[in-house]
Amino acid sequence: MKQTLVTGNEAAAWGARLVRAKYIPNFPITPQTECIETLARWSADGELPGTYFDRMESEHSVMSAAVGAAAVGSRVFTATSSQGLLLMHEVLYIAAGMRLPIVMATISRGLSAPVTLWSDHNDFLDQRDSGWLMFHAENNQEVLDMVLQAYRIAEDPRVLLPAMVNMDGYVLSFTDEPIIIPSPGQVEEFLPKYAPAHTIAKNRPVTVGPPVLEEYSIFRAQNHVASRNALNVIEEVQDDFEKIFGRRYHLVDEFMLEDAELVLVTQGSMSTTAKAAILEMRDEGIKVGLLRLRIIRPWPNEAVAGALKDAKAIAVIDRNVAPGKGGIMFPEIIETLYNLDRLPLVSGFVVGLGGNPQTESKVKEITHKLMDDLAAGRPRMEWNDLEEI
Amino acid sequence: MQEFKSLKDIPEQDYFTGGSSACAGCGPSLGLKLALKVLGPETIIINSAGCMTLLPLYPNTPLKASWIHNAIENAASTAAGARHGLDNLGNGDMNVVVYAGDGATYDIGFASLSAAAAKNERIIYICYNNQSYGNTGFQWSTATPYGSETKTTPRGKENPTGNTIVNKDMLKIMGAHRVYAATASLAYPVDFLNKLSRAKERDGFSYIELLGACTAGWNYDPRLTIKISKLAVRCGMWPLYEIEHGMLNLNKDFNELKPIDEFLKMQGRYRALPPEGVERLQELIDEHWAELKEYNKQRYV
Repeated sequence: MKQTLVTGNEAAAWGARLVRAKYIPNFPITPQTECIETLARWSADGELPGTYFDRMESEHSVMSAAVGAAAVGSRVFTATSSQGLLLMHEVLYIAAGMRLPIVMATISRGLSAPVTLWSDHNDFLDQRDSGWLMFHAENNQEVLDMVLQAYRIAEDPRVLLPAMVNMDGYVLSFTDEPIIIPSPGQVEEFLPKYAPAHTIAKNRPVTVGPPVLEEYSIFRAQNHVASRNALNVIEEVQDDFEKIFGRRYHLVDEFMLEDAELVLVTQGSMSTTAKAAILEMRDEGIKVGLLRLRIIRPWPNEAVAGALKDAKAIAVIDRNVAPGKGGIMFPEIIETLYNLDRLPLVSGFVVGLGGNPQTESKVKEITHKLMDDLAAGRPRMEWNDLEEI
Repeated sequence: MQEFKSLKDIPEQDYFTGGSSACAGCGPSLGLKLALKVLGPETIIINSAGCMTLLPLYPNTPLKASWIHNAIENAASTAAGARHGLDNLGNGDMNVVVYAGDGATYDIGFASLSAAAAKNERIIYICYNNQSYGNTGFQWSTATPYGSETKTTPRGKENPTGNTIVNKDMLKIMGAHRVYAATASLAYPVDFLNKLSRAKERDGFSYIELLGACTAGWNYDPRLTIKISKLAVRCGMWPLYEIEHGMLNLNKDFNELKPIDEFLKMQGRYRALPPEGVERLQELIDEHWAELKEYNKQRYV
């Protein structure tokens, strides 16, 4: 099939275009800008018929307007990064609580202070408990595919939750990769017109977002159940997706895990680098594999535990940090393994903050440290970018 | 455009029914009840967090129109999204109306309001101004008048004046956004409803600010809401005027204003304001009134 060179930002914009998003509120922030500039250009050229491209005065207003449009039944797309995502934080919970299937591309960038423009995952993972579905792409093809899938999953009546599709800033957002851009007809077959059942409409007054008393807990529980339902929906959607587009994704991405004694757990674009390093280490006879986390919420507990259950030692590589604790995904992995009959050793590595390059040699270094830990029977939690801190 | 000539013209049909949790004598809820008579049931009210947020309480609502409460600082942006969503789906004839308090309008939501107005979104923005953060128990906002006591501007030995900050001139600010901007009063419902009716027909942004007398915060007998609202207009505390295309139109002109004392002495929030404070407040009111008289029927912003 014909491949086109596009950046991650453009891949997300193609997703919004192909799903025929009707409303695109936006506010510029590096490194997301190219995504909304692409949509602005298409809008000006008449390539987005029936879509309103709305320039807002802040990210907070972007998500607020997204809520307003989704509440009356519009299919909404937006994108942001870093500080912008944090400014939206308040309204993210509201969008999830109102069960509005908004889809947003997040282009990860480290958080201030000090200022960095480059990527790490703290901005994205800061939204972990917001009630959104959270997907994290490895490459630009997956960015586009995830946007298409995100709408299908988010709009499913068993789910009805907003969804974030994350990509790493710069590494993906500004890097051209050859990808397959599906035809509008294929996407229409995969994702029909949005026809919400509970929206505000003429002759049907609806109250959205009122206060509640003791029922609060029921609504929160429904949000949780809907997110858990998404796990099944995600798997179901893969059949249709594969049938129409010829590509298939799984709840987790497993790489050379069949006989792996050592497993690296990664997220996002650094996984590609790690896979290359693993191929080289395999040539040296090291039995190492990789588990890439691509769905952060809902948490695919069984898929993660199943993929890791035979490992002897695991290195959780976090491109983020919870100061005073360590990597954010490190304890999530340990908790997931806790009920296994046999517990592997789990070490944690904080790497690549503020775009610090995660090279193949660093991946190999982590693997060797993991082998040392296994030999010593002692896990570690380490800040791998630095000699000492 | 639907025009109201007298009280008799005001429709009997209500879209704000019984069963709300608002205080007896609540000005803002009366304002919404009146507004819905013009706006009708094909309206989405976009509310910002405040007293009115408690009108619907799951699973009940006193309203026969749609309602979205998002947060406190984003009613205008939520409204913009709803407007475009409706327009896109062929529901362009539904009204999108913000009903937000003064704190949500003057302070925390000002950026979103300013942007929606600058973009001339087809929204009616009604600010119910009770001159405070009312729902949290009456704290200072930039709409609080000089000399008012609030929970965060209490009178004390060091500061007997209470609030020493002069409130924002919001009408002028909104007028400068080149939109339709008007004040309104519960004591002049015909004027209020005509302004709403006009806003409803406009192909763009309208800002209407209603003085929302607050029986609990202002500390007066709930029976006096309309009387106090009327006095506010007669004393020049709340002049009725509108700005369109930058031109000022004074809707209720008086040869002479009543002294502000009459308005102040009815309310607990001004009870202990020292005479110098009353004088300063009177000065501020006189200055504003003189300015309105000077620019009436002329370019104002």
